[in-house]
Amino acid sequence: MEALLDIHRLSVEFNTARGRVHALRDVSISVPKGKVVGIVGESGSGKSTLVWAVMRLLAGNSIVADGKITFRGEDVLSFDESALREFRGESVSMVFQDPMTSQIPVLDYRRQMTDILYRRKGLSRQEKIRMAARFMNRVGIPDADDRLRHFPHQFSGGMRQRAGIAMALLMDPALLIADEPTTALDVTMEAQIIHLIREAQTDFGATVMVISHNLGLIAELCDKVVVMYAGEVVEQGDVKDIFFNAHHPYTQALLECDPSHDLKQERHFPTIPGDVPDLHGTPKGCVFAQRCRHASDICQYKRPGEYPIAGGHASDAHAARCHRYDPGGVWKELPKSETPKASTRIDVHVERDAPPLLEIKDLRVRFPVMGRVRALASGISDPHVDAVAGVSLAIRTGETLGLVGESGSGKTTLARAVLGLNRVHSGSIRFRKEELVGLPENTYKKMRRDIAMMFQDPVGSLSPRQTVGQLLSEPLIIHGERDLPLRDAAEKLCDMVSLPRNFLSRYPHELSGGQARRVGVARALALSPALVIADEPTAGLDVSVQGEVLNLMIELQALHGLSYLIISHNLPVIRQVSDILAIMYLGRIVEYGACSQVFEKPAHPYSEALVRGTPRPDPSRRRKLVSIEGEVPSLTNRPGGCEFHPRCPYATDRCRKEQPSPTRLVDGRTVLCHFPLAG
Amino acid sequence: MTMDAVGTFRQRPEKLALLLKNKQGMIGFVLVVAFFLSALLAPFLATHDPAQLDIPARLTGPGADHWLGADQLGRDTYSRVLYGGRVALKVAAIGVTLSLVIGLTLGMVAGYGPRWLDNALLLLFDTIRSFPTIVLALAAVSLLGPSLNLILSIVIITSIPSYARLARTSTLALKNTEFIMAERSLGAGTFRILFRHVMPNVIGPLLILAAMDVPVVVTIEAGLSFLGLGVLPPTASWGTILNEGYLVIRTSPWPVVAGGIPLVLTTLGFTLLGEALRDIFDPKLRGIR
Repeated sequence: MEALLDIHRLSVEFNTARGRVHALRDVSISVPKGKVVGIVGESGSGKSTLVWAVMRLLAGNSIVADGKITFRGEDVLSFDESALREFRGESVSMVFQDPMTSQIPVLDYRRQMTDILYRRKGLSRQEKIRMAARFMNRVGIPDADDRLRHFPHQFSGGMRQRAGIAMALLMDPALLIADEPTTALDVTMEAQIIHLIREAQTDFGATVMVISHNLGLIAELCDKVVVMYAGEVVEQGDVKDIFFNAHHPYTQALLECDPSHDLKQERHFPTIPGDVPDLHGTPKGCVFAQRCRHASDICQYKRPGEYPIAGGHASDAHAARCHRYDPGGVWKELPKSETPKASTRIDVHVERDAPPLLEIKDLRVRFPVMGRVRALASGISDPHVDAVAGVSLAIRTGETLGLVGESGSGKTTLARAVLGLNRVHSGSIRFRKEELVGLPENTYKKMRRDIAMMFQDPVGSLSPRQTVGQLLSEPLIIHGERDLPLRDAAEKLCDMVSLPRNFLSRYPHELSGGQARRVGVARALALSPALVIADEPTAGLDVSVQGEVLNLMIELQALHGLSYLIISHNLPVIRQVSDILAIMYLGRIVEYGACSQVFEKPAHPYSEALVRGTPRPDPSRRRKLVSIEGEVPSLTNRPGGCEFHPRCPYATDRCRKEQPSPTRLVDGRTVLCHFPLAG
Repeated sequence: MTMDAVGTFRQRPEKLALLLKNKQGMIGFVLVVAFFLSALLAPFLATHDPAQLDIPARLTGPGADHWLGADQLGRDTYSRVLYGGRVALKVAAIGVTLSLVIGLTLGMVAGYGPRWLDNALLLLFDTIRSFPTIVLALAAVSLLGPSLNLILSIVIITSIPSYARLARTSTLALKNTEFIMAERSLGAGTFRILFRHVMPNVIGPLLILAAMDVPVVVTIEAGLSFLGLGVLPPTASWGTILNEGYLVIRTSPWPVVAGGIPLVLTTLGFTLLGEALRDIFDPKLRGIR
């Protein structure tokens, strides 16, 4: 097979204040023409550096120490400025992770897209605009002529990414590079974008390189997969070989860690202990040796080569960088120290008959959409949106409730309302039978000991100029426990979340995502609360770290009898930790019931779309069709009838006219649908 | 890449080292330190009492007794310049510190507090800002008579709005961040949130503004004293030295030169220091220069 792009033994180093960082070492990848190649790795694996190296866009302090990049037989590294411009403009296009920052906010799409076509001198302006409209239509943006006059902020996230793909395809590139194309998007949008990239690849015959940490996405999209770790390629091969016959211990561990991998509800997540090694200086031996459960002596001092693995699929050679596959090696398989798989499911005692710890009834949170004067002037009385529109739910002691929904579904607003951070319009929130709505702050403060919150952004939710020690002792100071030896208390909290004690003097920006998350957990638990509200506890964390945090949360739940309200859009994670699931759409709960039941037989079409929409790391079950189209409507413009009907594949006339009321199914679930799919 | 985030570095020593590495910052730092030392040590460095008359020596140039000459009353110019520095330091230190503290507090309150309070404070700031400092000072002095304290109060009142505006904008940006939400959810009081969590994050740019404000304040005092509206004789200040020297400039230029040079050097020192601080605190500029 002809290789469009061939990277041969590439090494890239960065000069930093603390010495030289070996960001890429000896990376060889060939991208065959007309194929989709996926590059998987956690943060710090060097996958972005690789892309920048190919585009020749590396930062000024970088050195390409060794290696060759060949594109259609030409040496990319020797291109001069004009050849480089042609290479970037004509041959390679990129789809970026965050279209909001990669598109120009002050130019409309017509201008941005005609600008991209500047090299097409023969085309008239009218032709360029027509071409832009055609591509916008092609990526599924209706009324393209009209839409071209819009600016990026007028598009929703999904539309923006579609426009980004249209822009990337405009020059008919030979190679399309997509850097985390769906990370900023919701599950249903993600499925649509994956589909779009696949379509584009077959229609335009483009070669695609996808960079992602999302194994499900890679499995659905790619033909060939490259697994990177700490700046090295540890394994590469056909997608089926990687997912069904992984050989490198890192690949195996990574696949195991992916929560969507396992369909059982085990309440224990596999993890990869340890951290990504420091890339200062040249590491001896195998980069993964410190974290590898198979590592033997040779791994510590001798760097393994890339050894081919026999019996691979198709044309792509399957190879892994591990001593175990060295044909001339004298590897002795160690007596396999089984993964300490604590498969003993930790059970939390839940008193089914006890009154609920937290009970929310018909809660409404309203936000005004315009000032009072403007509303009077335009003759609208009480202009508002209902971010939360009549939500009821209950959590018992020791129970975990998972609240799932896409962005804009009102789940974070709901959580903040419970904590009194948002004004409640109507309804009641009872905690231990005590009404929280309308409580003045000084009475509420006592309640805050028992209700703690973990915020979404692990680092951003820690005050940046405070040390970890100060942050950990702060809850105690606020709640008047000044007499306690604060240092001891902080140390105890550190131990509880297994954070080294010397971290107490660090500042938040010196922590990794997982460490910052541990501080967040410790802070939430400092006052031994009864209820913890966790907003996207695994957002922004690598797969191998996600498991650690969730395991910690589960252990602490068992230990302290905590109740959790976990908010997430990540269904695989939530499925494994929740007892009860509440699925939110446009501020309403559309399905509410036992977690396992919702997953096995979703009753609401939206739940079904979410459950089926999550890409699984299984290349054999590629979806032909996207289950639901369209996007979450704006709250200011709620559809009439059933609010889900514009996106519902089963919608009937009744759904368009009549708003459904909550229906109780035989198995105890509540569904907001005229025609529940199950039960 | 999270490489930068992992390394352990303490902020303060690094900032000082960066400041001294920067040539501008180095010069500014040295000048500012010299200004502080000369003002503080004036009683030890001075050769004469600044008010003591030595009639035979009046309007002489530099000599063994009077290093920088003497003025029209025979007072030692060198000693008067040193003592004049004390007035400048007093105005600069008290004026700038108080405006910084009051401006910061009001700005944070405006940014974090309810909408009506924000609007009321903004109205107040804009009203004050619409008066030109010098004209306001002239009006106040002609009503209440010249005094150093009056000048100080006017300087403080008129420079509060710029500090407050800056603090308010940064506070508004911080108000809805997750870490402030996290503090609120813990039950932290407004006072705690403002002074422990908001202040450290907004004070950086204000300190730079303060360093750049010092020369302005010093010149306002000198200017008003020059016009005879500031400190009263026989107190020495750079402004009064210039004022009195200006009358006798044809006979002896020494008082004007001696009063002018420290004014120029101090102004330059603080300006350079302020600019260097701005570059250091703003990481986006750090790489460029």
